[in-house]
Amino acid sequence: MNLEFNEDQKLLFETVDAAVGRGYPAGARGEATSTERGWNDDVWNTLAELGLTGLTIDGDHGGVGAGPVEVYATLEAMGKHAAAEPLLDGVFLPSWLIAALGTGEQAKQLLPALAEGATTIAVAHAEPGRPWGSAPSVAAAHSGDGSVVLSGVKSPVRHADQASTLLVTAVDGDTAGVYVVEAAAAGITRTDGRSADWSRASQVEFAGTPATLLGATGTDATAALQAAVARARVAVLAEAVGLMESTLGHTVEYLKNRKQFGVPLATFQALVHRASDMYARVELARSMALWATATVEAIDGGADVDLPAIADDAFVFVGDTATAVAEEAVQLHGGIGMTYEAEVAHHAARLTAIAESFGGLAAARRRAVAAESALRAPSALLNNA
Amino acid sequence: MDLELSPEDIEFRDGVREVFTREIPEDIRRRNALSRTTRDDIVASQRILNSHGLAVPHWPVDWGGKRWTPTQSHIYASELQRNSVPQPLAFNVSMVGPIIAEFGSEEQKRQFLPATANLDIWWSQGFSEPEAGSDLASLRTTARREGDVYVLNGQKTWTTLGQYGDWMFVLARTDPDAPRKQQGLSFLLLDMTTPGIERRPITLIDGSEEVNEFFFDNVRVPVENLVGEENKGWSYAKFLLGNERNGIAQVGTSRRVFADLAEAAAGIPTENGTLADDPQFRTSMHGARTTLLALEATQLRVTGASENGQASPVSSLLKMEGTKALQELSKLRMRAAGDDGMLLPPDGDAAESLHSDEAATIAAAQYLNQRKLSIFGGSNEIQRGVIAKTILGL
Repeated sequence: MNLEFNEDQKLLFETVDAAVGRGYPAGARGEATSTERGWNDDVWNTLAELGLTGLTIDGDHGGVGAGPVEVYATLEAMGKHAAAEPLLDGVFLPSWLIAALGTGEQAKQLLPALAEGATTIAVAHAEPGRPWGSAPSVAAAHSGDGSVVLSGVKSPVRHADQASTLLVTAVDGDTAGVYVVEAAAAGITRTDGRSADWSRASQVEFAGTPATLLGATGTDATAALQAAVARARVAVLAEAVGLMESTLGHTVEYLKNRKQFGVPLATFQALVHRASDMYARVELARSMALWATATVEAIDGGADVDLPAIADDAFVFVGDTATAVAEEAVQLHGGIGMTYEAEVAHHAARLTAIAESFGGLAAARRRAVAAESALRAPSALLNNA
Repeated sequence: MDLELSPEDIEFRDGVREVFTREIPEDIRRRNALSRTTRDDIVASQRILNSHGLAVPHWPVDWGGKRWTPTQSHIYASELQRNSVPQPLAFNVSMVGPIIAEFGSEEQKRQFLPATANLDIWWSQGFSEPEAGSDLASLRTTARREGDVYVLNGQKTWTTLGQYGDWMFVLARTDPDAPRKQQGLSFLLLDMTTPGIERRPITLIDGSEEVNEFFFDNVRVPVENLVGEENKGWSYAKFLLGNERNGIAQVGTSRRVFADLAEAAAGIPTENGTLADDPQFRTSMHGARTTLLALEATQLRVTGASENGQASPVSSLLKMEGTKALQELSKLRMRAAGDDGMLLPPDGDAAESLHSDEAATIAAAQYLNQRKLSIFGGSNEIQRGVIAKTILGL
């Protein structure tokens, strides 16, 4: 029984922390997300040199095949500096989908470039006004020569403007599938914008766009998609924990340094106690995120646990905390916390966006509350019923 | 990372579980689950535990302690709570026992420790006073040295289960002229049959009489009942605070309350089915469930850190959030009962004639009683202050 990093994982955290920290001095998230790329290219190259773009990709395809704890350590360190590089959205999540569904040939085609950090892949699943858990409305149609074309709309697609390839969920008759689409393919109309966290996102329309099914024909991709997204839901909580810790740290510093009525804000107990409550909530959320990560690791080791259910439980708890921490940090900073110049504003915006990611908090809670497990007595240990 | 108990830990767990479920009579555990434990239940239960070496595992080995690993201590506390075994009396096993073992004379150890472990002596805590609650060092009870006795005058309050106390450990002021209020306090052991002691019970919000006031009028305490050195009492009292934080979040208790409520819900009818199908109830229970998972995971982190020899500063967080979780569950239990909680069981046999479910009839009283959790043992406001000062540097 243990929820700690081992020595290698500690070293990994420290390495990412140091490398990303150099590229992200105070205020750097705003700057990085305002570039054409949407993130800091130097930091991205460093991440690639460190092998982190290959973290979730197996050795045969140029990666290191690391597990969920390494993903946690990396993303918590990224979150600590509010880094904008899309490791999870642009590399980890697509790599999980490709490993789960792709043919050997497709894996060979797509994974090495990802592992190198030479490219990113955007996963396009969300659709306007359509619940995340419903089957996609984007349709795959077969033309006479056996090729496939997609029609429909996906939005938002994170970092679609920089991706070389899109993985698009679509239905072929009653069968849900994930389709590989070249970003430059014919029949794509992209409307670029930004997300609430200032990172890039797009609406992508497909009109007879050529596509290739990821994997073998006839296999429904719903379960694989759910599993990969559940993995991503747990992974993003690590980033949230890093962000929350920094947000709390900035807030504590502000309370110490900011003077009103001739005294530091930290002399007002009403404010200090709110910071203590933030601390308590952040530590509980950290425990939950670590526990979910350890559970995913156990699942990879063969444990019989329902991954999407665990991901929903953890996402709901940490997402609620992320929202509360974001709200309190802005409130305790006062007006300055509302400004683009304030570092804490970027943290709060990103925490807010995390809580709405992958279908959002309300949907996760709906599933979790409806699940049989909602009324099951909890046990954090797997063999201590 | 690893979310499994080792085979050795499983064996350990099964061993303590065996004693808790086979040796502690079921009616005692049932009454404890319903917060209706009697004095005799507590005594009987502790003596059974003691006979199996399970009453004072964290004491020094010479006096019955076990040298368990942090994981084993965690399992022990958690299994006690899960199986609804009355906790060994905290005043004996977590407070005065460790203090006598650490600071007492050899004579005091021989006289008190075995009897304290076996609950042959029932100890009461004489710390809080009307003007000294969270600010304990402000206490005013005096112990004036006169020859070979201390003469005790003053008042103690919030003395939990003091009606059963054979002895009381008292923090009293022996040097009223000390420059700081923390100085000049001494730790005395008081035989409750000594003349000059008056007890007044305090009736609580739920009707229970579990706390008392005590008045001391020239009560004579032999000097050999001073623990350690005169005027060093504050440091001994503070030693308690660092002592035995296992189980402080009461996750095992909350888990049991959760399981009982989830089971009961399937039998509580609503207009459209049962409470177990009610979205509002399920949402609240899911919230409680995830909070308990986070709390247990936090405990596992703390246990893991202490396995590696690191102290963890998060006991304030565990106390604060753990008691909030248990209070929330007691509220859910009351809401589940609704009207059925509004006719409390009468004393005596008449209780048997009520048609409402017993757990429902006591739910509202329990909810009111559980308000104490965030007040005693350092109120949650004190815990926030501790977090701010020791962790956040505010």
